[in-house]
Amino acid sequence: MDALTASLALGGLVVLAAASGFLIRAREGRAKILTNAVRVTPEQLGLRRGDLPFGSTATFVQFSTEYCAKCPATRVLLAETARAHPGVRHVDIDVTQRPDIAQRFTLKQTPTTLVLDEAGMIAARIGGAPRPDALARALDIARRRDHGSYTI
Amino acid sequence: MAATPSKKTAASTTKTSSGSPANPLAAKPGSTGIDPRGPRFGAVITFVLLGIDVILGLTGPSVEAGTSWAVRVTDPAFILLLVITLIFAWGTFAGIQRHPYGVLFRTLIRPRLSAPTELEDPVPPTFAQLIGFVVTSVGVVLALLGVPYGLVVAAAFAFVAAFLNGVFGYCLGCQIYVLLVRAGILGRTRA
Repeated sequence: MDALTASLALGGLVVLAAASGFLIRAREGRAKILTNAVRVTPEQLGLRRGDLPFGSTATFVQFSTEYCAKCPATRVLLAETARAHPGVRHVDIDVTQRPDIAQRFTLKQTPTTLVLDEAGMIAARIGGAPRPDALARALDIARRRDHGSYTI
Repeated sequence: MAATPSKKTAASTTKTSSGSPANPLAAKPGSTGIDPRGPRFGAVITFVLLGIDVILGLTGPSVEAGTSWAVRVTDPAFILLLVITLIFAWGTFAGIQRHPYGVLFRTLIRPRLSAPTELEDPVPPTFAQLIGFVVTSVGVVLALLGVPYGLVVAAAFAFVAAFLNGVFGYCLGCQIYVLLVRAGILGRTRA
């Protein structure tokens, strides 16, 4: 292969990598509002019911792993947001030793955050480090129970 | 709270938001946090070298079948990929803190930058080095076996991963880790 064709091939690789990068950046941290009724129980997360880990108005369930670059920063954001809103709790689940939990919630990346309402229904799911505006919107939807998971 | 080393805790560790606001971005006890710009600087050098290797590979004998042993081991693309693989091995087994590019970053680049706003745990970027080591090792082995395009394809995969890390700060190795955990391949046994 001549040098020109090889350079074009490398150029194609750069375009591919850059396109993937922009796509990942555009998708990461956005809140996906869920419309089907899925209820999460503390037992499914490897917690005991007696721990009372869920908040009275909403809960952030963060899934983390050991080798996760953005999990610590996400932990800070979720913990601070939970502190700022009464009745909201933040639970961090390390799934490194729990493939069953990773499978149940079909985790494709960490951090992944579920925003639960007071009944433990999933209102929104955020893959990657959450954007603060997306998190605020998801929390608002969970608190108003306006996510279509069920009707009252 | 978040500084709890997950290796030593129960199967599923939980940390709730109650408690004092410690700095969760700090590295775990017993290890030193690193400047997150260090691994990204290293990734930029790595993807430039891998890009050169893709060009060398495509224009060299590694794309042809039936080459002799002597041609394969003296191919510049093979030698460069071997060097990149050894540097990944260094980063994997000596730890990211002793990485040669990290030394370069500390002596040449960091004195010219402002202090980092946060420090990063060294474990995830060290795992990413392992992924890089595995991918480039496959390329080295395929080149030694004389498989046409084996070297180029492995170098191209590593190039895309290093490019995403260096340019976008996206750690592909960390996402692969999650998929391996989900498949039950990694993380089941306690270290």
